[in-house]
Amino acid sequence: MGLRIKILSGFLILTMMLLIAGVWSIYELRTIGSSAQALLDDNYRSIDAGKMMLEALEREDSAVLLLLSGKWDQGRPIIQSADISFQQGLQIARDNVTIPGEHDYIQALDKQYAAYKKLWLKPIVGTKYEGNLRWYFEEIHKAFLELKDTIQKLITLNHQTMYKTASELKNRAHRSTMPGIVAILSALIFTLIFNYFINFYMVSPIIRITKGVHRVMETGEAFDVAIETKDELFDLTDSIRKLAARIRSGEKLS
Amino acid sequence: MRPQIVLRYVGFVLLFNALFMFVSSMLSAFYSDTAFFPLLYGAMISALFGVFPMIFVPSTTTISNKEGLFIVIVSWLLSCLAGLMPYVLWGGEFTLANAWFESVSGFTTTGSTILTDVEAVPRGLLFWRAATHWIGGSGIIIFVLSVLPSMGQAGMMLYRTEMSPVAMENFKYRTRKALQVLMVVYVGLTALETVSLLICGMDLFDAVTHAFATIATGGFSTKNLSIAYYNSVAIEIVTMVFMVLSGIHFALLFMAISGASADLFRSSVVRYYLAALLIGTLVTMLDIHGSPYESWGDALRYASFQILSLGTSTGFATADTSLWPPLATLLLIFFTLQCACAGSTSGGIKVDRIVFFWKAMGKRIKGVQHPRAVITPKMDNVPISDDVLEMNLLYIVLYLAVVFISSVLLSSLGVDCLSAFTGSAATMGNVGPGFGMVGSMSNFSSIPDAGKYVLTADMLLGRLEIFGLIIFFMSKSWK
Repeated sequence: MGLRIKILSGFLILTMMLLIAGVWSIYELRTIGSSAQALLDDNYRSIDAGKMMLEALEREDSAVLLLLSGKWDQGRPIIQSADISFQQGLQIARDNVTIPGEHDYIQALDKQYAAYKKLWLKPIVGTKYEGNLRWYFEEIHKAFLELKDTIQKLITLNHQTMYKTASELKNRAHRSTMPGIVAILSALIFTLIFNYFINFYMVSPIIRITKGVHRVMETGEAFDVAIETKDELFDLTDSIRKLAARIRSGEKLS
Repeated sequence: MRPQIVLRYVGFVLLFNALFMFVSSMLSAFYSDTAFFPLLYGAMISALFGVFPMIFVPSTTTISNKEGLFIVIVSWLLSCLAGLMPYVLWGGEFTLANAWFESVSGFTTTGSTILTDVEAVPRGLLFWRAATHWIGGSGIIIFVLSVLPSMGQAGMMLYRTEMSPVAMENFKYRTRKALQVLMVVYVGLTALETVSLLICGMDLFDAVTHAFATIATGGFSTKNLSIAYYNSVAIEIVTMVFMVLSGIHFALLFMAISGASADLFRSSVVRYYLAALLIGTLVTMLDIHGSPYESWGDALRYASFQILSLGTSTGFATADTSLWPPLATLLLIFFTLQCACAGSTSGGIKVDRIVFFWKAMGKRIKGVQHPRAVITPKMDNVPISDDVLEMNLLYIVLYLAVVFISSVLLSSLGVDCLSAFTGSAATMGNVGPGFGMVGSMSNFSSIPDAGKYVLTADMLLGRLEIFGLIIFFMSKSWK
């Protein structure tokens, strides 16, 4: 193999080490960006929707208590606006199903909310339900707690996934920096080996050839430098050996 | 010493590592896990380092003994370094100290792990982890074949005594044929165990990785509960059979397969090895019957697996031995120190040296009884010289001294005595699990980082038969 290819191979290997590390780091960094966006889109939106539903539900519960105490004027507008808020939250959550298991919770919420709403939709003020705390605790409050529990589970699921995604982001950040570190260390070690080979197989033979030529010129001895590699230096040594032999034979003839 | 020649041959080993890393990365791509890039990048770096010396250094067939020793030791050290790359690049539990520990543990076929949750690691990386065992095992074969005989009479004697004249000749001249024989046995056993485990109900991935770990007497499992995960008597029996086979000198196994099975049982080392495992199993069974195991069947099942696992330096587990009574614990510690036969992939002091020890004892006792007698101990009709006996006794003493020093170092780092001693013995013997906080159902993650480096030094010392590594680090050897 020629000297040019040997030297070129060294530089090519160095370039490849750094290039691959660079490409991989860029890929990981880009993935971090999309993962962070996904974290916001997929989980944070659902958590927000859950909180919105919880808040609306609390307001509905307060409104139900107002209706039970006969305050129709105050209770009815609160329950109507809270219902709209809840429906909006539920719709956001419904449109943002991204985690396995999330769909089941949405379906459960649909059913439970329909049952809960059915309870307070019927007239309360001026009926047998007005002031009926037993009915409240046995039916309305029970449905309210079930609904609240399901929303909490939906929020927890999203929190857990968010934590998992954040851990994955940490790993990805690690993976985006490590190739660089490994590439730098590898390149350093490689440079040392490359330098050793250049010195051993190129610089050192050139010095030996030079000394051999000097010896031939000064003492007239035969050129006896041996090169073990089959490259341009080998050819050069061979040519010098032949030249030296011709000079010596010429001198003898003269 | 020609460092460039060492680098050229080490390059081949790095390429071999790169090949397995590449296969692991392909598996990672197949399973769509997160280890694809770490494995691929590791493979590329290893391949580039492997190819480069081949471009510059012309090939040569004449390698001196010293160069041979250096090639093997540098290959081992660089393999461990290259092997940690995918772990470090992947991250998770793999800090630099942890990755180094896992890599050295893999290549030296120790099987100790720092992973608290093995099943959380991607499959591609688990395959690489098992492959390090298998590559390490094949390295041991080359080490045994080409380097140990160059380490003087004692090193050679250890392997010569249990070989038939034909194999001995091959061995002596380190011919290509001898290497082929051992590699055929190694690959054949791996293939046979993979098929057997598949028949027993393991999936292909687990069967291959567990076969890699068994034949190399490693012990890395792909499950947190090791072999206990499968709760299958058939899988345990298959694993036990192959653990015992992997603990026997591979050339003897080859001869047995080739039709000279009588040679196998004619070897006093093999007879001692099998008898020790049998007696160990029976005594342990008697000890653990009643508490913690009610039935004789269970006592036999768990005693045999644990004794064979530690007695062959494999390190798989089907029970939490930390809960076993003191006698059973002591027996397991004895087997952790002794391990199996020379010429196999097992570690430890080795059965051969224990047999030499008894021969030396016998000679000394006879010498006291008959002061004027000239006593020459023999093993399988081969006379053993005083030099060989002395060298083996020295090795045993040095081995125990290293275990003791390592235990002291670990204790000084705050590790409790039992964990420090058994952890040192288990890593020095390339066994895997110890007792206490490094027991069969736990791991080495709680050992401080400095302790992990001490234990990896033990693994390398044990694997390279102490003297190999000492010679390597002596400045005189580099001239």
